[in-house]
Amino acid sequence: MKIYTQTGDKGKTGLLSGERVFKSHVRIRAYGEADELNAAVGALAATLSGGQDQIKMQLVRVQSDLFQAGAWLSATPGDETLQRLTPLGQEQWRRLEGWIDHFNDQLPELRTFILPGGSPAAAWAHMARTICRRVERVVVELAHTQAGQPLPDNGLADILIYLNRLSDYFFVLARHLNHSAGVSEAAWKG
Amino acid sequence: MTHYSVTVTSLSWLTRNTFEIRFNRPAGFEYRPGQKITFEDGGITRDYTLLGPEHRSELAVCVRHVAGGRFSPKLAAAQPGDRYRIGAAHGYFFFKSTDRRAVFVATGTGIAPFVAFARQGVRNFDLLHGVHTETQLYYADELAAAARRYMPCLGDFPDSPRWPLSFDGRVDGCLAQHLAPGAYDFYLCGRNEMIRDVTAFVDQRFKGGRVFTEAFF
Repeated sequence: MKIYTQTGDKGKTGLLSGERVFKSHVRIRAYGEADELNAAVGALAATLSGGQDQIKMQLVRVQSDLFQAGAWLSATPGDETLQRLTPLGQEQWRRLEGWIDHFNDQLPELRTFILPGGSPAAAWAHMARTICRRVERVVVELAHTQAGQPLPDNGLADILIYLNRLSDYFFVLARHLNHSAGVSEAAWKG
Repeated sequence: MTHYSVTVTSLSWLTRNTFEIRFNRPAGFEYRPGQKITFEDGGITRDYTLLGPEHRSELAVCVRHVAGGRFSPKLAAAQPGDRYRIGAAHGYFFFKSTDRRAVFVATGTGIAPFVAFARQGVRNFDLLHGVHTETQLYYADELAAAARRYMPCLGDFPDSPRWPLSFDGRVDGCLAQHLAPGAYDFYLCGRNEMIRDVTAFVDQRFKGGRVFTEAFF
């Protein structure tokens, strides 16, 4: 099957709710950035070796969550399609909190800023963290454009909580990956 | 993923190379008009849109027989009692009731979801069906009865009192001639080239129009 539809050759694309919008539209940027984050998570997973299956499973779970968020972001509030989608919810961000606490309990206390980097896996975790923050910023922008609209998008609030937690997860994961690989964290010396 | 086993109940040819095949509806199988099912057979998978609940106990799909194809010839030779494996209904190409007028555009067997919509009770829509010959106007009487305007589109079509709104040309040309400015929801199903051209036309002429697509290549 061909994958090119040629319907976007002049800069427009279709939302799941049917509207034709320019690809620079904030909603397109929101799920586009989420897609970029998902790719970064895939790159991070590709750096992991045997013995890191637990983290690999976590990352697969995160990638699935990001697809779920992307689908939600691709339809406008009030559209019937949203009734058939499941928004991200408390279950997902509570799961992240469990993983964060698990890693953090095993790490030395942080007393200074650290430079993002270290092992290849940790460097990718930092990349994922910063892309995640970008997704969050665009979703905030989208939420602002929705403010005052007659049909509130309650799913956006849940996505924002999830992204905020996910960024923290990537931070502690990066630290965990460096520590487990015996790579020292580089402190910011100012 | 959920799978079902379905048994062929009957098969009827609509034209020389297109047929409708019906199956028993397995217990627990639910779908929404406009959704499709995936057949799985020896490592081959093929998607077909369900035609709609003509009989609640049956499922039906409309299939174009592709000579030399890997699956449709086998399906065309199916006998009552033959069994196939299908997945759960999937897809988001379903009708959304709004205050906008619905315009359905199909080519060939892409008419299937619109048959499902009509059987669901959707009315007051415009339907354009692009085909090569009059015999390919599948389900024409049923659809013409449900539509506000039923417009067959084809290049080599004799003037016929039966189809007063027939258009001599492609569906995008028909839209240009017959669709007044306004707010519409466009539903497009069929060949990718049609979807490309009609979407470009909507972008150009009907800014603010919503477009829902189901393409086959």
